[in-house]
Amino acid sequence: MNDSLHHWPFDTVLVANRGEIAARVLRTVQRLGLKGAIVHHAADRDTLGVRMADIAIEITGETPVAAYLDGAQIIAAARQCGAGAIHPGYGFLSENAKFAAAVEAAGLRFIGPTPQQIHAMGDKVRARNAVEKAGFPVAPSAIEDDDPATFVARARAVGAPLLIKPSAGGGGKGMHIVRDLSQLEGEIAHARSEAQRYFGDGRLFAERYVEHPHHIEVQVLGDGQGHVIHVMERECSVQRRFQKIVEETPSPSLTAEKRREICETAAGIAHSIDYRNAGTVEFIFGAGGEFYFLEMNTRLQVEHPISEEITGIDLVEQQLWVAAGEKLALTQADVKPHGHAIECRIYAEDAARNYTPTTGPLLVLQPPAGEHVRWDSGVVEGGAVTAAFDPMIAKLIVWAEDRDATISRMAAALRDTVLLGCKTNIAFLRRLVTSQPFHANEIHTSWLDGHPEVAQEPALPPDTLHALLAAAALSTKPLRDTANAVPDLHAAIGAWRN
Amino acid sequence: MKRIESKLNTASAQFRANAEHNRKLAAEFHEKERAARFDRPQRDIDRLRKQGKLTVRERLDLLLDPGTPFLELSTLAAGESYDGKVPGAGCMTGIGVVSGHEVLVNAGDASVKGGAWYPQSVKKIVRAMDIAIENHIPVVHLCDSAGGFLPMQSEFFPDKYHAGRIFRNQAVLSRMGVQQVAVVLGHCTAGGAYIPALSDYSVIKRGTGAIFLAGPPLVKSATGEENTVDELGGADMHTSVSGVADYPAGSEEEAIAIARDVVAQFKTPDKARVESQEPEAPYYDPAELYGVLPQDIKTQFDMHEVIARLVDGSRFHEYQANYGKTLVCGFAQLWGYKIGILANNGVLFNDSTLKGTHFIELCNQGRTPILFLQNITGFMVGREYERRGITKDGAKMIMAVANCVVPKFTVMCHGSFGAGNYGMSGRAYDSRFLFSWPQSQISVMGAEQAANTLVDVKARQLARLGKTLTPEARAAIHDPVVAEFERKQSAYWSTSEIWDDGILDPVDTRNALGIAISATLNAPIGDPRYGIFRM
Amino acid sequence: MKSTFKLGAAEHAIELSRAAHGYRLHLGDQVIPFEMESCGAHRARLRIAGHTHDLRLITAGDDVFIQLDGEAHALRYVDPLAHFEATARGGAADTIRAPMPGSIVAVAVQEGEAVTRGQALLVMESMKMETTITAPRDGVIATVAYEKGQTFERDALLVALQPAADAEGGAA
Repeated sequence: MNDSLHHWPFDTVLVANRGEIAARVLRTVQRLGLKGAIVHHAADRDTLGVRMADIAIEITGETPVAAYLDGAQIIAAARQCGAGAIHPGYGFLSENAKFAAAVEAAGLRFIGPTPQQIHAMGDKVRARNAVEKAGFPVAPSAIEDDDPATFVARARAVGAPLLIKPSAGGGGKGMHIVRDLSQLEGEIAHARSEAQRYFGDGRLFAERYVEHPHHIEVQVLGDGQGHVIHVMERECSVQRRFQKIVEETPSPSLTAEKRREICETAAGIAHSIDYRNAGTVEFIFGAGGEFYFLEMNTRLQVEHPISEEITGIDLVEQQLWVAAGEKLALTQADVKPHGHAIECRIYAEDAARNYTPTTGPLLVLQPPAGEHVRWDSGVVEGGAVTAAFDPMIAKLIVWAEDRDATISRMAAALRDTVLLGCKTNIAFLRRLVTSQPFHANEIHTSWLDGHPEVAQEPALPPDTLHALLAAAALSTKPLRDTANAVPDLHAAIGAWRN
Repeated sequence: MKRIESKLNTASAQFRANAEHNRKLAAEFHEKERAARFDRPQRDIDRLRKQGKLTVRERLDLLLDPGTPFLELSTLAAGESYDGKVPGAGCMTGIGVVSGHEVLVNAGDASVKGGAWYPQSVKKIVRAMDIAIENHIPVVHLCDSAGGFLPMQSEFFPDKYHAGRIFRNQAVLSRMGVQQVAVVLGHCTAGGAYIPALSDYSVIKRGTGAIFLAGPPLVKSATGEENTVDELGGADMHTSVSGVADYPAGSEEEAIAIARDVVAQFKTPDKARVESQEPEAPYYDPAELYGVLPQDIKTQFDMHEVIARLVDGSRFHEYQANYGKTLVCGFAQLWGYKIGILANNGVLFNDSTLKGTHFIELCNQGRTPILFLQNITGFMVGREYERRGITKDGAKMIMAVANCVVPKFTVMCHGSFGAGNYGMSGRAYDSRFLFSWPQSQISVMGAEQAANTLVDVKARQLARLGKTLTPEARAAIHDPVVAEFERKQSAYWSTSEIWDDGILDPVDTRNALGIAISATLNAPIGDPRYGIFRM
Repeated sequence: MKSTFKLGAAEHAIELSRAAHGYRLHLGDQVIPFEMESCGAHRARLRIAGHTHDLRLITAGDDVFIQLDGEAHALRYVDPLAHFEATARGGAADTIRAPMPGSIVAVAVQEGEAVTRGQALLVMESMKMETTITAPRDGVIATVAYEKGQTFERDALLVALQPAADAEGGAA
């Protein structure tokens, strides 16, 4: 493969993101001999991405998040540091067609799909229609935009259970399940106000809700020059409040035949729009083996590392080659999955208190080590989790020959992870991946929300409590000083009374 | 230092009989202690609870550092007085550790007659304050006393060692730089008001704590002025207006927490340096002391066996083992501290007296604290011994004992009769601490001996008149004397009268002495100096 | 005197003491001996109840973070005096009196208003200095005795809080 510097149409790549993904992208950029630049808000000065980058440019905004959403400022930063390409990571501007267009208009390469592809897939309804038109399976649905006046009646006709979603949405926000059609109107009103609040766009659509659904998605790669391959599927059914926390590949829900069917469907969908870039086609998968197109994410996915681990393909590298105008060098036959991989998302959150985000300093941070244990993180010891951004601290990815071994390795890695100063979900994740429902693949996307007891912290055994209190007491200076002030004789005699 | 080789046969019938006897005495003693500490009329407990007060022992638990010992003093003071209605003389004193500092605790016990001061209460408190002065130990006063028990005021108010001595001692302590903190948890009225006022620091609890020279009723009768307790001497008034007290507290727990914080600010004592090593448990089980001590006061036993069950590793460096053998002298380690021991193995003869005197001088020269283990019937009497000058030899020993500069400790192990009590550092000789074992006895002579002496005197009077003493008349003289002696020579009488600092279960002696030795080292040890030894 | 550690929603009253070797944890009626030695940065070895644990441990202020057997725990120390202050009821803390004579520059609260400890209640001026009077504890304003511009004498009652109804738990 062409990997020497002079083949690249750019020698510097600007990462327009933060956190673990910034560090992840920079790692590949720098491995390929390119210079990595990064923009960052002042709040992110002490992060791994900023430390790794060859060039770091501070950007400003009314809020830290606003800085990363300020496309003009980012493009100016790219110009300032001579970057020829911008990698948007995920979130922020990664699926913003206007930004992609502006980047290209500025004469820079956007490491992603074309603005048209983003536009086509960015709207759920548009995407669904396009997929349906191309002959792929979509859930029975009613789209408000088709005829707002008959939306309610058409939704009712689809039948219960029904899922109402914002057209402009994502990330599970503003979704409502209707099991009793008499409550349809109320739920629609509720969903609309949430959609308006979250996305500034109150349009909705309704589709058949699959009970106990599994979330299965397929990684695809396309070069926009007629070549599309899939890089296997990922099972992402462990979700709380519609947000993934554990992902694995291969999916334990699929037979070999179903796997081939779903992966080829995904590749077909991407091919139908001559997709350029890495992307993810998401499906909802029912207990009966039926699956429907959910949406397509036109960017690198948070959980992409598990696909990399079982195939040995560096997806960021592929993104870079494609953005550089190269044809895909991989054929479908080059994708040879081996073994099993699981990712756990480590969040600053209190699982027991309804997964409330937490904040705090990262006083001690020691990632787990060992073969086939991967730690993708943007934080460093001494840094902090603040309320400014998403509370994801890191992704822990492990690989092993089979699923059982992978689960064991994940449990051990979680156990070896030391992260002190901020409440995290690490212990919860360990309980979860070692639980019987996970082992038996009984967990569907709304399972955790229906089992809040799983997130409760088990009562501490007395010995553990005693150990904690003893260690804490001796580590607390006033208590230690008072105990140490006791003369040797009296300490030795102890609580004797005559 | 060689280990004492015990000659005791712990399987013997004698040992087992002794052990059973002495364990029973110890159990009786512990029951008396328990009753003195905890048995109170229900109405007194109820009153305390209604006032939201803790008991004195609950307060103590809050005050002391966790996992540290407390050496309570004179627990059974006044046990034989006032019909036994004033247990512990209505107060609790002792030595404990607060915020790492050895302190003397002086606490009023409001569950006994409202904590009113009886004559023995005053004696006990004055003794505690003397201990603080002699040993430079900071004091924590937990004040909760109704004031003096007026009907007995003549017995605790006017004399040199009466109530005024408490405040005098507080002032002396302050001059010496020995710090005091008072925690006012009840009313401190009249003289009692001076305890917080003379303390370097004072904490006062809102509501139940109050300080005034005269309480509301007395003020009303004196001047007609009407006051509430809070207005007249409450916590907020004294800590924000008068400055009589320093820290207000919302609860007893908080008051004691503040006191602990205050004690934490006390200066670290510059303790006197004496020889010491790593402590080591006795090789012989101290519980075997029960089998060592005989059942009869007149039965002799070997003090080596006692020493072996008190000192580190049961090791003992004996001095002049073959000379003056009725007084065992030697060095040992107790809780690591090097001490000199004088222990009676019989009556004091000229040689044993001279040996003891010499040994006391060795200890003073070597800055070695001295432990006296008393089991003494006195100095030897008789023509031969008078001719050898037993009196001047006894005088030498008293001269040495009285002028000791190293701390002295005395344990009444068994008998303590006659001038032997003095030579072996009895109460009058300022042992820093003096403890008694439950079966020990103290008197100028044995009960039978005293009764017979008095009978003889009467018989000689009658003989001069040509009469003889009838058996009935003899019994009328003899029996009451024996009864009176037996009562007043018992350890319970001694401790009731505060002739000692408390009775100890023999097995507790080692710990008590360890704590006591450590406490005494808060005071510096001077250079030895004596008067004239009559040669 | 017990100290409190908060662990999750629970509070544990404990004491720590030193033994001839190691330490003891006092919890209720239990006395649990233990030894702990530091082994490098934020690492410690704890021997307790017949087990040896390798800990990761760090403190930040009154917080103690401990990794024990693969799980992180956070404990917060509450000093006994702070604990009593937090749970204190009634008494002097109900009223705020003038520390010196002066006049009122600004009044920030009104009667019936809930205030939190440390919140500014009013600003007074005296001896050409402005002093902000703050709430001594969480509570509800019972009385505001003066208006802006009025003068007062030393010890005058400026603000009174309603007496706290019940013990307020252990909130620090």
